[in-house]
Amino acid sequence: MFTRRKMIQATFGSAALITAGTAAPPFLWGASRQASQKSDEKILVVIQLSGGNDGLNTVIPYANDEYYRNRFTLAVEKSQVAKIDDEIGWHPALNGFARLLDDGQLAVVQGVGYPNPNRSHFESMDLWHTAHQNTKEFPRGWLGRCVDEHLSGELPAIHYGGEKQPLALTTRTKPVASIQSLDQFRLRLGEHRPLSLGIAKNLEQQREHRHELLGFIHENASMAMTTSQKLESILSTGDAMKTYPETTLGKKLAAVAQLIESGLPTRIYYVTHDGFDTHANQAAAHAALLQQLGDATQAFHEDLKNKGHAERTLLMTFSEFGRRVRENASRGTDHGTAAPLFLAGGRLKAGPLNQHPDLLDLEQGDLKHNIDYRSVYATVLEDWLGVESTEILGQPFKKLNLFI
Amino acid sequence: MADLLHDPKQAWKPWEPTAKQPWDLRRAAHLLRRAEFGTPIRELESCVQTGYPATIDRVFSLAQRVPFDQSMQAMEKALSSSQDPRQLAVWWLLRMVQTPCQLLEKTTLFWHGHFATNADKVLDSRAMLKQIEWLRSHALGHFEPMVQGISRDVAMLIYLDSEENRKTRPNENYARELMELFCLGPGHYSEKDIKELARCFTGWEIRRGNFRFNKNQHDHAEKILLGQRGDFSGEQAVHIVLNQPSTADFIARKLVRFFVLDDRVLSDELIEPLAAQLRESDFDIQATLKTIMTSQLFFADDTIGQKVKSPVEMAVGLLRSLEVQEDLNELSNRLLALGHLPLYPPNVKGWGGGREWINASTFLGRTNLVYKIANQESEQFSRGSISKALNVFAKTDPVIWVKKLVDAYVAVPLPDDTMRQLLELGSGKRRSLDQRVADVVCAMGATPEYQLN
Repeated sequence: MFTRRKMIQATFGSAALITAGTAAPPFLWGASRQASQKSDEKILVVIQLSGGNDGLNTVIPYANDEYYRNRFTLAVEKSQVAKIDDEIGWHPALNGFARLLDDGQLAVVQGVGYPNPNRSHFESMDLWHTAHQNTKEFPRGWLGRCVDEHLSGELPAIHYGGEKQPLALTTRTKPVASIQSLDQFRLRLGEHRPLSLGIAKNLEQQREHRHELLGFIHENASMAMTTSQKLESILSTGDAMKTYPETTLGKKLAAVAQLIESGLPTRIYYVTHDGFDTHANQAAAHAALLQQLGDATQAFHEDLKNKGHAERTLLMTFSEFGRRVRENASRGTDHGTAAPLFLAGGRLKAGPLNQHPDLLDLEQGDLKHNIDYRSVYATVLEDWLGVESTEILGQPFKKLNLFI
Repeated sequence: MADLLHDPKQAWKPWEPTAKQPWDLRRAAHLLRRAEFGTPIRELESCVQTGYPATIDRVFSLAQRVPFDQSMQAMEKALSSSQDPRQLAVWWLLRMVQTPCQLLEKTTLFWHGHFATNADKVLDSRAMLKQIEWLRSHALGHFEPMVQGISRDVAMLIYLDSEENRKTRPNENYARELMELFCLGPGHYSEKDIKELARCFTGWEIRRGNFRFNKNQHDHAEKILLGQRGDFSGEQAVHIVLNQPSTADFIARKLVRFFVLDDRVLSDELIEPLAAQLRESDFDIQATLKTIMTSQLFFADDTIGQKVKSPVEMAVGLLRSLEVQEDLNELSNRLLALGHLPLYPPNVKGWGGGREWINASTFLGRTNLVYKIANQESEQFSRGSISKALNVFAKTDPVIWVKKLVDAYVAVPLPDDTMRQLLELGSGKRRSLDQRVADVVCAMGATPEYQLN
């Protein structure tokens, strides 16, 4: 608590920083902006596929008869699959990913999961968010731990979207900003200046240390004020969306690209893409979700390339689980286990990293994982963000050979 | 309170006002913030006057339920044929503002979060309305009939992709959520139990918008569910799940989180007396809630303000407290952005509450919302103006009315400097009384303390 207080004091204590509605950007901000524009610090963008993405219909083992036997209505015909190699290929809606792969910008890690798989959305998502290190009393996310221990400076991480903040970003020392949308992210309090000033001033008051919940709210409130003023001063509205698909995910990634371009020192961005819980009538819904994912990701990469940030930005997808190998009676699929995970941009070794899981070697009708997701985390933390992973993940995990 | 959290026997014993913990504006406001959506200052003061027992009677009274329900009937009939479930959310907000049976409505919202169903997927106003009415009619009743009904509820089964349930390939989704989210909580069943329970539900389906049991599709073979063997029907299976020991614990814990403390670790020992009461009373929800809301833990100093106001509590609470009208369509957009529009829960787990309500975006959104409501045109206030709504007159000393406002509507003390800020706004020159009152309400609404419930 004490350190947290001190941190807040250091970050938000300055009256100069909290001046509502002033035209001139706070001086501190000007400095950090300049510094970060020169930097080539690496950035991680996480796309959470919520609901449990059907990996089997994402990277399709089109050469395997077992796939067609189990997916009697949902299988994608061989002729429709965009082939990656002799065994696997893309769902036809994923042409965005296919193009990224052709450009040498996409890596596929197959059969990612963990031992003793949990098939509850919420439990499994918590595991992925905390890297299996949940405690009831102090829940903290794997990225939150990374922020706490390794990332200094303002706004080390941003969650962009309207849903609740993912547990992956839960920190102990300083809150992570959730921004629902760039144009809504400001106070609208009319013309009476003493009111805005009074509100800003009230947030500078110290609060009682022992009321933890109040401390949490206070920190978020202070951060909201400073962040909204910052963004107002640096973001230009305009044609940011021009090259993106008009989808929810497209809008989110367009905003993230805008934030990156603005020179923020932020190292981690987090967005979600929801709707993958396809228990019934999966085919059309899943295809639409994949289309949105591939198109938005591809547009994002193009945009960053034009702006000169592609090399320093790595994108990673994940989902809480894959789905049952055999489809159900409702032309859908139930909760399963291992699934592919995708990385794009950065300096990746493009292509599939490993083999597709064995469709004949199942456990309770589900795929066995061949790579622990924490190996992916360890690789991203160490080889991309450049931070030590053992403490964050609770134990050492074997790194993957992802980067050039 | 730290002691009470570790003293389950004492925690749930009835509270009585004492010299140290008097029945005053602070405690009356606390009880009504938790039991109701919001209360005008006049009523708070009259609750202090009439005393604690009378206020408990007020909270638990359902005397005006029938006439109020009747007054809403015509509108509900029109809504059920509407194609747009958003209108239903607006209707529910209106109900929350207007109903005299506040605890019933709040508990209905609790159960809606428990049996979370999203209208965006169901896309059937009639089915959604029916579900909410079902929840309301059982909200303060008994748990088993409520769950039995929800298990056949059209909106629920559509939401969980369980419109079809064939014996050859049973759909596991409802079975999983019944155990994980509605009754037992994770860790109290196996994946095998889910598959067995799904078999019990085979033949349960939705046809032309109605539930029906298709006996040709029911799997009549023996099942082994949670250690019991038999050819269980869906109904029997629900009964077996409900009577697992962990169900009462799960429900009691959730009630405590919603009505008492949402930021504390609650030990099994603390919850057990309430769980026992549920078990021994056929899961009588009203009686258990009464134990909770009249308990020593509930009125302990450190319980006051140890919860985060949900966006609905904040918005509806302000509308009720100020007795002001607001464009509820617009409000519904704002609540959606704040993550809490009734009928639109984020997923089947419902709203997590507590700290989840607060982040950078929602803090700004909440403050903007308070500003908007406090600055409505005078004619929107049923008392004629915001100052009249709050019993503030030109001759009243700002020191007095600012303090009273804070005592009534902020759960924990504000820092001295913040009080001075509010007083400055309250006595500002060249501002009308209504403008000054609105400024104070808005600045108060933007404090971290105001976000606490």
